[in-house]
Amino acid sequence: MPDRAGAAHAPHAAHRPAVYFRLSSSDALDALRRMHRIRRFEEAAEESYVRGLSYGTMHLSIGQEATAVGVCMPLTDADAITSTHRGHGHCIAKGAELGPMFAEFLGKETGYCKGRGGSMHIADPARGNLGANGIVGGGLPIAVGAALSAKRRGEGAVAVAFFGDGANNEGAFHESLNIASIWKLPIVFVCENNQYAMSTAIARSTAVRDVADRASAYAMPGVIVDGNSFADVAEASFLAVARARAGDGPTLIEAKTYRTRGHSRSDRNRYRTREEIETWKQRDPIALLESEIVALGLAAQEEIAAIADEVRVEMAEAVDFAMKSPTPNPADVTRDVYSPRGD
Amino acid sequence: MSEAIRELTYAEAIREALAIALEADERVILMGEDIGLYGGAFQVTGDLVERFGEDRVIDTPISELGGAGVAVGAALTGMRPVYEFQFSDFSMLAMEQIVNQAAKIRYMLGGAVNVPVVFRMPTGSGLGGAAQHSQSLEAWFAHVPGLKVVEPSTPHDVKGMLLSAIADPDPVILFEHKLLYKTKGPVPEGDYRVALDKAALRRAGRDLTIVATGIMTHRALEAASILAAEGVEAEIVDLRCLRPIDGEAIVASVKKTTRLLAVYEGVKTLGLGAEISALVAESEAFDYLDAPILRLGGAEAPIPYSPVLEKAAVPQVDDIVAAARGLAQGRV
Amino acid sequence: MASEVILPRVDMDMATGKMGRWFVAEGERVREGQLLFEIETDKAAMEVEAPASGVLRGVRARVGDVLPVGAVVGWIVGEDEAFDPDLQALAGELRALLGSSAALAERASTPSADARGRATPLARRLARERGLDLADVAGSGPNGRVQALDVTLYERPARAEPSSGAAQGARLNRLWLQKGEGAPLVFIHGFGADLNGWRPLLAHLPAPRPAFALDLPGHGGSPLAGDSSFAALVGAVRAALAGEGIRAAHLVGHSLGGAVAAALAAERMGGESGFRALSLMLIAPAGLGPEVNSAFLAGFLRARSEASLTPWMRLLAADPVSLGAALVKTTLRQREGGALVEAQTRLAESLFPDGVQAFGIRHWLADPATPTKIVVGAEDQIIPPRQSEGLSGLIAIHRFAGVGHMPHLEARREVARLVEELAKAGG
Repeated sequence: MPDRAGAAHAPHAAHRPAVYFRLSSSDALDALRRMHRIRRFEEAAEESYVRGLSYGTMHLSIGQEATAVGVCMPLTDADAITSTHRGHGHCIAKGAELGPMFAEFLGKETGYCKGRGGSMHIADPARGNLGANGIVGGGLPIAVGAALSAKRRGEGAVAVAFFGDGANNEGAFHESLNIASIWKLPIVFVCENNQYAMSTAIARSTAVRDVADRASAYAMPGVIVDGNSFADVAEASFLAVARARAGDGPTLIEAKTYRTRGHSRSDRNRYRTREEIETWKQRDPIALLESEIVALGLAAQEEIAAIADEVRVEMAEAVDFAMKSPTPNPADVTRDVYSPRGD
Repeated sequence: MSEAIRELTYAEAIREALAIALEADERVILMGEDIGLYGGAFQVTGDLVERFGEDRVIDTPISELGGAGVAVGAALTGMRPVYEFQFSDFSMLAMEQIVNQAAKIRYMLGGAVNVPVVFRMPTGSGLGGAAQHSQSLEAWFAHVPGLKVVEPSTPHDVKGMLLSAIADPDPVILFEHKLLYKTKGPVPEGDYRVALDKAALRRAGRDLTIVATGIMTHRALEAASILAAEGVEAEIVDLRCLRPIDGEAIVASVKKTTRLLAVYEGVKTLGLGAEISALVAESEAFDYLDAPILRLGGAEAPIPYSPVLEKAAVPQVDDIVAAARGLAQGRV
Repeated sequence: MASEVILPRVDMDMATGKMGRWFVAEGERVREGQLLFEIETDKAAMEVEAPASGVLRGVRARVGDVLPVGAVVGWIVGEDEAFDPDLQALAGELRALLGSSAALAERASTPSADARGRATPLARRLARERGLDLADVAGSGPNGRVQALDVTLYERPARAEPSSGAAQGARLNRLWLQKGEGAPLVFIHGFGADLNGWRPLLAHLPAPRPAFALDLPGHGGSPLAGDSSFAALVGAVRAALAGEGIRAAHLVGHSLGGAVAAALAAERMGGESGFRALSLMLIAPAGLGPEVNSAFLAGFLRARSEASLTPWMRLLAADPVSLGAALVKTTLRQREGGALVEAQTRLAESLFPDGVQAFGIRHWLADPATPTKIVVGAEDQIIPPRQSEGLSGLIAIHRFAGVGHMPHLEARREVARLVEELAKAGG
C-alpha cells in the first residue's frame, strides 16, 4: 500500500519527483515488481504464441508498464478499473496473480475467466478489475457506471477507465466524459496514447493535437504526463484520484507512451520506422524506474536485481501452473451464460 | 377473475412496478431520456421523480450508448438499474453495450459476475411514428444468448414481469407495445411476480392454435370471437417470453389442435414465427400437424407513415381471421 | 374395330418392359385370353394374353425391345377388317395425345398415385395406426392432400364381398408355368411364399398339363390392397381364375394356399359362372386346426438378413437342402422396400391372430365332392401333422416320413406322381 503519510528514509536526491513524497521505498519496489511482472508476463505470452501454444492473437503492452502501474498506485480493491484489449498490464498492475492470468491466456479452466474470456477479456472482479474489453471504447461507459455506483455507495471509491488513443474518437468516449462530468462522478479517464491506433497515427485520426485537449469540452481537467515515467504517471493519478474521492468529479489523464511491439502479433509494423521504435526503446520505463530508485537511494542495485530474478521464477511457475491446468469440458459450453435460478 | 381487483392501464401498471421496486430496494435506479421532469415520453414514469428524487430517477442526456453502458457498469458494481429507451428503435445506438457487453460479460468472465440490468423499450407501430419510431425488433434481441427477452401483453403481466425482471440477476429486455399503454386490465396490489419463461393460455380452443405476442395477442382474441361465430374455436397462446420461448406450451397446444398459426408484428422473414415453426416441426407435435404451419408477420418494408399503409404493413384482425379460417377448413 | 395390344405393367414399380417372344405370328388368328407374347422381367418371364379375338396385325415390337409401359406392340383386328398400320398408329397417337391431356386435366384435380408428400403428418400417422394404405384414401386438402379427416372417415371395403375380391383378383400376379393339353392344374402357394415355389415340383410332372400359378395378395408380385381376411383371399383367387377364363381345374394348394383351394373347391357353383374344382390336392394344408408355429411366423416376418432368416427357413423342411440355396436370398430380395413384409404382417394379424389359425376348412372337407388328397410330412414343424387326422375316409392322407412342411420340395417326385394320379382320377 502506498504510504501517503511520509517519504522514504533516504538521502535527498537533487530532484525528487513529487510522488516519492507519497511513497515509501517498499511502495516503490512493489511498483517495480509489478512492472517486472508485466514485462515477464508479456514476454512469456509472446513466447507461447510464437511457439503455437496459445490461441487467437495477443495485444502486448511492452513499453507501457509505467502507465498501468503508475495509475493503479492510489487504488485499492474497492476501486474499479475497466481495461482495453491490451489489458494484461492493467490486470497485473491491479494486483492479479500471474498463474490464473496465464491459465486464462491458454484457455484453461483455472484461468481468471475459466478460459471463456481469453486475453482480450481478462478480468479480476475480486480486485476491482471489471475486465479487458474487445470493443474499442467499450469499457468507458461501464467505468462511468461503476463510478455512479461508487458515488451512490458514498464510501469514497473511484473508477478508472483505461483507453487508448484510438478510443478517443468513439462516440462512447464523448458520451462517457459528458455524463461523468454532468453527474460529477468519481472517475479518472486514462488515455494511454501510444501514438497509434493499430496502424493509424493519431495525427491522422484525431482532430486535436493532444487527447487531453478534449477535456475542456467536457469541463474537466486534462493532464498530459510522460507515460514512460512511473513517477509522472503516479503523481498525476494520485491527484486525480484524490479529486474524485473528494467528490470534485472526473479528470482526463493523457499518458504519452509507446508500444515497442506491434499492435498485435500479426502487425508488420509498416506504419512506423525502425528509428522511431529504437528511440523509444531507449526510454524503457522499467530501466528508467530502476535508475530512479537507485539514484534516489530508495534501494540498492542488488535488491533490484533480486526482484527481477524473483519475478522470473514467479513467471516460470505461473507458466508451469497454466500448462498443467485442465482444459474446459466441451459439454460445459453453455455454462454461465445465465445465472443459476433463484440467484 | 376477481371483481375486487382494480383496473390500471398498462402504463400505470409499469409505474406501479417501478415504484414498488424503488421503494423496496435501494439499489434500484431508473435511467432514461426525459423520464424525470417530463414524466417519460409515454408518461410511464410519471411522478416517480417527485416521489424518489433525481438521484433515483435519472434523466440522461441523449446518449443511448453511453447511458446503456453506464447502466451496465452500475449493474456490474451492485446496482439494479432500469434503463428506458424512449423508442426501441433508439436501442440501435446502444447495441454495443447491450449485445457485446451486457449479454456477454458474465459468460466471458467465467460466471464470476452478473449484470442485473433491465432495458425497457416501447415497441411497435400504430401511432404514425413511421419507419424509425415503429420497429418491432424483438427477434434481434431474442437471438442473443445471455439476454432474457419478454413482451407482456396485459397490465397484469407487465407489472409482474417487470418486478421479476428487476429481481433477475441477468440482463432483461422488456418490450412494451405502444398501443397497449392506454389499455386497461385488472392488476393486483402489491408485489407479485410473473415468470419470465412461461407462455399464457389466453383462450382454449380445439380447431387451431394461434401463438401471438404483444398487441397481436389482442388482435388474435378479437379474431377468435369472429371465428367462434363461424364454429371455429381458436386456442390462443400468448407467448409473453421470447427468450427463452415456452416451447412446451406451444407443442402441447399444437398436439391438441393439429393446426398452428403464429402472429407477430416483427418482419415475417427470419422473425419469431420462423423460430416457432421450426420448434414445432422438430418436436413431437410434428406427427400431429394436419396442415402447414402458417405465419403472419410484418411486411418486408419499413413501417410507412400513411395510416392506410401503416395498417397494411402489419397483421390486422381480418388477416388473422382469414388465415385461421383457411387453416381450420383444411384449405391451406 | 381394332384392339390395341399394349405392353402392360406387370410389376408395381415397372416403367419400361423388355419384349420377349411372340407366341402368335402376324396374320394369325387369336382367341381372347390366348397367350400372345412374353415380357422379360427380373423375376420369371411374364406371359401376356390377347385382349380380344381376331387377327394379329401390325406387330411392331421384337424380342429384346425395351418399351415404356403402355406402348402399343400390335393390333388385333376383326376377321374381315381392313388394316392400315400407319393409320392405326396415327389414330393411336391421337388418342394417346387426347388421353394424356385429359389425364393431365384429371391429375390436376385428383390425387396422384404417389402417397408420399400428399398427406399431412397426422394423416400419415393415423393411417399407419389403422393399417391403411394412404394410396387408398382420397384427400380433400389442397392438391389432393390427405388430411386427418379423410383418414378418419375412410371405410375399408366390406369383408368377403365379391367386389372386393374381384378388385384384388384383377391385380394378382399370375403365370402359366407350363402349357399342355387338358384341364389345367392351378397351384396356390402358402404363406410367405410365391408361385415360383412350384417350379421344382413341375419339373417332375410326368405329363405336360397346362399349369397355372398365381401370387396370393401380399405375396410375390401381387399387392395387398384393402381387406386381409381369409374370405378376401379366396375371393381374389376366384376372381383371378375367372379373369383367366379358367372354369374348371385341378387345384393344388400348399399350406395357406391349401386352405384357399379347399374353400374354392367347396363352392360348387359350376355352370356358366363360377369355378369347378376337378380335384383337390392339399399339401401340408392350413385350416385343419388351431395350432400353428407362431414363433416361426413372427421370426420369419421380422428377419431382415440372411443371418436372421436362415434359422427360420430351416424349420420349413426336415432336410433344408431340399429347399435350395437360393430360397433365403430370393426371399430377402423380395423384402427390399418393405411392402411385402408389411402386407404379410397384416395378413398374419388377420389370419393367424395370437398365433392361432383363425380360419377353418374341416367343414368343407366333411363331404368331399371331388377326389381329394392330403399330403403331409411327419416332421412338419409349422403345422402339426396330426391336424390331418379325423377327416372323411374319402380323403386320402399321404404321410411322408422324414419330411417337414414342404413335401412338394422335399419329396417332389413322389408328390408329382400323386398330382398326376389325382389329375387322372379327377378327369
